[in-house]
Amino acid sequence: MNQQKFYYDNKIVAQFTYATVLWGIVGMLVGLLAAAQLAFPALNFEIPYTTFGRVRPVHTNAIIFAFTGNAIFTGAYYSMQRLLKVRMYSDFLSKLNFWGWQLIIVLAAVTLLAGYTMGKEYAELEWPIDILIAVVWVAFGWNMIGTMIKRRVQHIYVAIWFFLASFVAVAILHIGNSIEIPVSFLKSYPVYAGVQDAVVQWWYGHNAVAFFLTTPFLGIMYYFMPKAAGRPVYSYRLSIVHFWALIFIYMWAGPHHLLYQALPDWAQTLGVLFSVMLIAPSWGGMINGLLTLRGAWDKVRESAILKFFVVGVTAYGMSTFEGPMLSLKSVNALSHFTDWTIAHVHIGGMGWNGFLTFGMIYWLMPKLFRTKLASEKMANTHFWIATLGMLAYSVPLYWAAFTQTLMWKEFTDTGFLRYTDFMETVTRIMPMYYTRVVGGTLYFLGAILFVINVFKTAKSGSMEANEEAMAPAREVITTKKIEGETTHRWIERRAVRFTVFVFIAVFIGGMVEIIPIIAVKSNIPTIESVKPYTPLEQEGRDLYLREGCYNCHSQQVRPFRSEVMRYGEYSKEGEFVYDHPFQWGSKRTGPDLARTGYKGSPINRNAIWHYEHFFDPTSKAEGSIMPAYPWLISDDLDYSDLKKKISVLRSLGSPYPEGYEELAEADLKSQAEAISAELKKAGKDVAWNKEIIAMIAYLHKMGKDISSGGETTEEVKEEKPIEKVDFTKLTAEADLTAGADIFTKSCAVCHGANGEGNAIGPNLTDDSWIHGGTDTDIYTTVKNGVPGMPGFGTQIDDSQIRQSSSFVISKIGSNPANPKDPQGAKIVR
Amino acid sequence: MEHKHTDPKLSSEYNEKFDHKLIEDHDYDGIRELDNPPPPWLMILFYVTVVFSAGYAAYYHFFWDKESGPQETEFIAEMEEAKTKYKAVAVDVNNITLTDDAAKLDLAKIAFGAKCAVCHGANGEGNAIGPNLTDDHWITGNTPKSVFETIKNGTPNGMTAFSNISDEEILDLSSYILKKIQGSNPANGKEPQGNKM
Repeated sequence: MNQQKFYYDNKIVAQFTYATVLWGIVGMLVGLLAAAQLAFPALNFEIPYTTFGRVRPVHTNAIIFAFTGNAIFTGAYYSMQRLLKVRMYSDFLSKLNFWGWQLIIVLAAVTLLAGYTMGKEYAELEWPIDILIAVVWVAFGWNMIGTMIKRRVQHIYVAIWFFLASFVAVAILHIGNSIEIPVSFLKSYPVYAGVQDAVVQWWYGHNAVAFFLTTPFLGIMYYFMPKAAGRPVYSYRLSIVHFWALIFIYMWAGPHHLLYQALPDWAQTLGVLFSVMLIAPSWGGMINGLLTLRGAWDKVRESAILKFFVVGVTAYGMSTFEGPMLSLKSVNALSHFTDWTIAHVHIGGMGWNGFLTFGMIYWLMPKLFRTKLASEKMANTHFWIATLGMLAYSVPLYWAAFTQTLMWKEFTDTGFLRYTDFMETVTRIMPMYYTRVVGGTLYFLGAILFVINVFKTAKSGSMEANEEAMAPAREVITTKKIEGETTHRWIERRAVRFTVFVFIAVFIGGMVEIIPIIAVKSNIPTIESVKPYTPLEQEGRDLYLREGCYNCHSQQVRPFRSEVMRYGEYSKEGEFVYDHPFQWGSKRTGPDLARTGYKGSPINRNAIWHYEHFFDPTSKAEGSIMPAYPWLISDDLDYSDLKKKISVLRSLGSPYPEGYEELAEADLKSQAEAISAELKKAGKDVAWNKEIIAMIAYLHKMGKDISSGGETTEEVKEEKPIEKVDFTKLTAEADLTAGADIFTKSCAVCHGANGEGNAIGPNLTDDSWIHGGTDTDIYTTVKNGVPGMPGFGTQIDDSQIRQSSSFVISKIGSNPANPKDPQGAKIVR
Repeated sequence: MEHKHTDPKLSSEYNEKFDHKLIEDHDYDGIRELDNPPPPWLMILFYVTVVFSAGYAAYYHFFWDKESGPQETEFIAEMEEAKTKYKAVAVDVNNITLTDDAAKLDLAKIAFGAKCAVCHGANGEGNAIGPNLTDDHWITGNTPKSVFETIKNGTPNGMTAFSNISDEEILDLSSYILKKIQGSNPANGKEPQGNKM
């Protein structure tokens, strides 16, 4: 045979390897910070750029796109050249791929921390970066397909099928989900709204898992595992079956992220069923991987590389069993919005993606640098620490999730929520949040050993940038199917045809779901009372995105009695038609916010409460782990893009009248001034143009439109013009005892036996007062009553009022059991 | 062709057992493939999930004969179930049967003292805050339904909604008020308010 000499491009592989190691460390470190922030909120530092809502997207994006992204390129660039017996199609495209990707990562980190975000999970990046991603991704695909076309071998190996499917699907998903209209250089709105945006986003989000975290890693598994084990792949036929089943079915499963939410039943059903049908195709990958080790299990004892592969593939098997289980509606009802999801993705991320990457790089480094791994022992230590870390991270989170979800759903014997206070359910799981930090730290320490080992290995050898290789040219045979050749074997040697089939397989699922959601009106029944956002509310909404509130708060009340009682009416499809993007969220570290503006919802709070809560969340909920947002109070609202925003949103379907742009600013100002005036009544001097005003406006919009008659949030009541008589508390023992008797008889019914408050009246023992907390205020309230509370001046004589008021005052700060949440304004006495 | 993939250290017995399954001309950078069939249990699992899915879809979408969709039906069922379970919302306001059970009325008397007396007087005679409940004048009516709803939901005139007690307790309270308080003639009765019933 006519042998041809050519050179593998090893330099590009080494570059991607270094990038994987670097971004892996960065991504894990940021993840560790995020985990620590949930355990110790002081680590948010009260600085915008280091607050959890911005840090968490940096972690997820860094791990997904920077760490595993570069790992994918590492694996693909190394294996494809060897499997196809050819250098990459174009060195230029390789370089574009590498440097373009690193640029994207840097831009992503900077813009996310600066608060530029689309507010869609794992698709947070703004439009110029989205375009850049599309360009670089296409460069990767072009390079791959070009390499396939100029290959020297006849058939394309299964690893490359998976790389190819990843390229095709991610291109479709990224472009499909990133269709957005720019408002300014770093601000845009997605064209989809509400339910549509949710369906498109989770079609994307779920398949980012499928085609970024799964299929390319199956490609890596199919090359590096048989190589490391020195064993043949267990079953070629299984490869075929599970490949096509996997890529076809995956694309349908997205709606399982939206179960029991405001999504038509049929779409939810598709999400459930296609997830269930995914078990076997996913396990096909695990089986083919693990059974490839038959005859090599003795090596696993020695080799850190194989250990990483075995545990990685097993973690994949566990995750892909757990995923379909979480997609069952009855399980999802418990798991969704809890740390269960977080634990699940970390088994996948740390176990499958992390371990496969570590194993691959441990195998690759000695090959690239023509040397031995610096320390096999250190690699083994890394393996054990990382495994322990993964368990110490995820097991507590499972525990936290079960605990919290059961608390959310627990009723008393008489049918009321046992834990009305969301904070109680957070306090309970704090120990698990601490433990998780320990787990994350262990995993990170393991990664440090990895870095040391990688660099020591590199130092001990020398890289051959262009490695010489020999292979015969590809014999040109007929494009037609040869007799005796199976159909699949035939398309394995038809690169372009194979690509087309892959495209068809991945294209169908999403389209069957997305097109009807967008085109068929009955899927989203109109609710007449739902109004578009006012300019101030929209600006507030954009701040909500900027601060990444969706990372911890959902906006979706599911149709369960426990949620309806906790938050208010359950969410309907028609409520979200003006939401660009949707903000339903996927995790409730804090309570759901869908009904914050719905009078009558237990979650509804007045402007003062929000003001004080943003300034110091612990003032309203003891032990709160929400970061403080003092800059919302001090910073001016930048509404310079308002006109553009109005016109973009109008073009996307929000019915602002023509020419409204010119009135928008005035509207914004008058609404803001009203809120500012309200705050002023309670002694908070906040100018109308501060960010917090817009944020409060947005919080008071959510859920408002569907409450009967579009009622607004209860306003801060102005003091009634009642003649106040100055009063100073009595301190004599006898007076307080008499006051205690009166309290038990007349006040306890609404304020609890110890003044802790109950479903009727507020807590009297804390430092928050609805009607003022000075001695005179309290005396006046007891005597004259307030809306909702009777005045006792007509029933008991003045001396008794003085005694009972004094008793109440004496109990402030007494900290009784089961205190009701603070209501009203904090008063320093 | 030499089988480079096999590890010389491994037992030759093992290789004999499996290597005859090596597929000819499947050699990719030294990686060979075996001609094993997919494990039957895995294929069966796949078919079972497909059949399950078909059945699930058929049940919930093609043979679904309830008025509302599966999700809403489930929600309605949960709310209904809670009504029975907790009796908290079990009372059908349009069809209230007052209780004569002496034990329950005794308990209701205690509850009245704790919850109602502050505004309606210890014996329901009314005071500066709430009206007299013993006479035949009623502001919001004296049908079982209206008394029940008044306690449960409160009134715009200032009466608190006692939404934190169970329907059963409200029912007993209503019974106590209508059977024991109404028509009694306590001392210091407040002057009648509302309409004569």
